[in-house]
Order: sequence, then structure tokens, then C-alpha cells
Amino acid sequence: MARFFWISRFAMPLELLAPKYLVWMANGLLMTAGVAVLAIVLSTLAGFGLALARDAAHSGWRQLARGYTLVFRNTPLLIQLFFWYFAAPNLLPENAMLWLNTPHRLGLAGFTLGWPSFEFLAGTFGLTLYATAFVAEDIRSGIRGVPRGQYEAAAASGLTRWQMQRHVILPQALRHALAPLFGQYMNIVKNSSLTMGIGLAELSYTSRQVEAASFLTFQAFGIATLGYIGLIAVLDVLARHVQRRVALPVGN
Amino acid sequence: MEGLAVIHANLDYLLWGTWPDGPLGGAALTLVLSVVSGVCSAIGGLLLGVLLTVLQGGPRQVLLLVLGFLRAIPVLMLIFWVYFLLPMLFGLNVPGLVPVVCALSLISAAYLAHAVEAGVAAIPQGQWNAGYSLGLTRWQVLQHIILPQALRMMLPSFVNQWITLIKDTSLAYVVGINELSTVASQVSNRVMIHPVPVFLFAGLVYFILCAGLSALAAWLGRSPQPQAS
Repeated sequence: MARFFWISRFAMPLELLAPKYLVWMANGLLMTAGVAVLAIVLSTLAGFGLALARDAAHSGWRQLARGYTLVFRNTPLLIQLFFWYFAAPNLLPENAMLWLNTPHRLGLAGFTLGWPSFEFLAGTFGLTLYATAFVAEDIRSGIRGVPRGQYEAAAASGLTRWQMQRHVILPQALRHALAPLFGQYMNIVKNSSLTMGIGLAELSYTSRQVEAASFLTFQAFGIATLGYIGLIAVLDVLARHVQRRVALPVGN
Repeated sequence: MEGLAVIHANLDYLLWGTWPDGPLGGAALTLVLSVVSGVCSAIGGLLLGVLLTVLQGGPRQVLLLVLGFLRAIPVLMLIFWVYFLLPMLFGLNVPGLVPVVCALSLISAAYLAHAVEAGVAAIPQGQWNAGYSLGLTRWQVLQHIILPQALRMMLPSFVNQWITLIKDTSLAYVVGINELSTVASQVSNRVMIHPVPVFLFAGLVYFILCAGLSALAAWLGRSPQPQAS
């Protein structure tokens, strides 16, 4: 039965999704892109901090950073998201939860953004913390790729520890780390699909919704898949562009 | 310490579901899922990796495109696809576990294929030449000389992929498989007021599995490479 159904469906031209459903999918794509971009920016900033902490002079920082990396890399993202969404509200003071759940106005350079849902906050937070553990390791390998002589040269120039990191080491480390970093950014886009587990209406979630409402499974999943491939392709193009910009002149 | 009491009261359910009276679930099912997909993806990754080294031109480009596609889409999306396509292709209702194992194995094999290709490429050309000079065919050289050496080098990649698989089995939650994540959220919903210990416990079980394997991978990577004599 199902087999004949399948053949007949593909023999006919595919029925298109109604515009209403396309709007749902577009909203899902925007949500995925939004969560992913936020998580990419935040995890890169936090990743720098974690990478520096992992090789800090103070052993307390090093232990803390090691523990963080170990815990966040060795547990599934879904369980972490469940924890931030279902369990963390019990740990926060009641006032803090009340504040997070009431709409605030965010004035940003003339734009007023709506206050995001708790699903969005927990999802972005969880995704960021998870990704930070991976991003930091790539930045750290980048830092390790900077030759010893660069430190000595920076110290000989009279730079402080912070100036040395900021102007000499990190820029070079970033160049080494670019390719693996963009790999992590692609993982962030793909991993953002797990936030559907806590009810965030991103692309995977809306594809399930459209499928349930329209019964056009093939089209719903097809469009969502294309959406993810599109986002990954954008990152790929961006990676090539950035790598070309920061590449050292040949023969140097 | 009410939280500990909650864990204690639901320990059996969290660890192996309703087994032996009912179907296996919880942490035991997580382990079974990861072992089955681990074995399938190791075999698949090996075959695809060998294909990558053997194929040239057009067919190789097609294979690279397929592998690239598998690596570009979220595991969740692939689970949806397999869940929806399998019954249509085979005209029967397959148990929910099959699509999950298929999707996890496919993605994992796509990642391993590149590791296998790199492992084979790392074997010096002289090994190939030595094999040919003994009168072996290309396939025989690969099977008896190259792969045994390459596999030893690739062992840590296989174990690391298995760790990823253990974490990814949690995605079976979206299709309602009773593995550890699903069971944990059920217990948390039932008990209502103690989500913190329930999810911490689930996280701890995953952590023990993954960190344990990770230590194994590090040990395998560190052990000296036996010299080919």
C-alpha cells in the first residue's frame, strides 16, 4: 500500500506548500539564524576567555577551565538544554525568574526589540555554553601554534602581558584557528536544531509543525534541509573570504 | 536530600527502563543504541573510506557530494528523513529504533570515511610498492598490508566518534525512544518539583560513559605505535 502511494506521489508533480506554511518556515529559518549568530558571537568571546584561563598562570583558573571543558564536552547538548530550561528556573531566585519572564523593552540604537521568550533565552544560553567548550579548544590550539619567539619579541619590546596577548599573540592565534573555528560555527548552526527539544520555534520545529498541519512531509523536510544547507553554505563562503583577507602574502 | 530520594526511587527506571518485565530503556538503551550504531558506522565508514581512496574522477565527486551533504545537515533532520522515508521505501512499519540507528550510523560513517581516507594516505608509498613487488593486486595490498596498519592509527578517531554517538543518541528523544534523555524528562515531569537532581543524574551517567571512553581514546593514542617489521 505505502509503496504504491510513494510511487504515485513522485510520479505526480510535487504539490507546493501553501504560502501560509512558507511563512512559518521562513520564521523558523530566521529563528535558527538568530540563535546561531548570537551563540557564535557569544561563544567566541567566552571561548577567548576560557582559552586564556586554560593556560593561565594561576593554577586555580586552569583547574576551573579544565573542569568546565570536561563537563560541557562530555554531556549531550540536549541534556544541558533540558537542565537550563526545566531545572535552572528552580535554582534561580523567584524575582529573577519573574524578571526574565516579563517583557522588557530593549532600545538598541533607535530600534525596539521585543523581549525574547524563555525558550529563546535558555536555548541561546545553553547552546553558547556548550559551544564555548569547543571554540576555546580551537582558539587554544591556535595560541599554541604561535612560535615561542613571538612571546620573547613582545616581551623584549616592553609590552605588558595583556598588551602582548592583545596585539601580538591573539591576532596570530586567530589566523591559525580560523578554519577549525568556522567548522565549530557550522556545528552551532546544526546544533541549534536541538533547541526544538525545549520548544523553541526554530527551523526543525516549524518543519514538524508544517508537516503535521499540511501532510506534505517531503516538502516540509525538504525546505528545512535546504535552509540548513543554505546557512552552512553562507558560513563556508564567509570562511573562505575571511581566510583570504587575513592570509599572509605569498613568499613571506 | 529529597532530591536523592527521587533518584533512588526511580533508579531502576532511569538505568534500564521497565526491563526485564518490559522493553529495555534508560541508560542501558542509550548504551545499546550507541554500540549498534557505533559498529554499523565503523563498518560503513571503513567501506566509504576505502571507496574514497579507490574511486577517481566522477564517482569520487559524487561520493564526496553525498558525504558533504550528510555532514552539512543536522542529525535531527536526518532522523526525520529516515523516520519518514523508511516505511515508504519498504512499505512496512519499522520499529522506531531502526530510523534512529540508521541516521546516526550514516552521519557517523560520513565523518569516519574521511578519517579512514586520511589514515590510508598516511601509510608510506613504499608499503604499496613492496606489496606490488610481491605480486599482490591493489585490493590485496589494501587488505593485507595497508588497512591493518592504517586501522591501528585510526583507532582513536573511531573511539572519539563513538563518544559523539553516545551524546547523539539523546536525539532519539524527538521520536519518542525511551533512552536516557527521554526517560529523564519523563521522571522529571512525573515528579514535577525535582528537575535539578533528575537532569544532573542523567548528565552524570552520560559523563561517566563519555569521559571514560575519552580516557580510553587518549590511552590508545598515547601507546607507542608497534613497528612494522
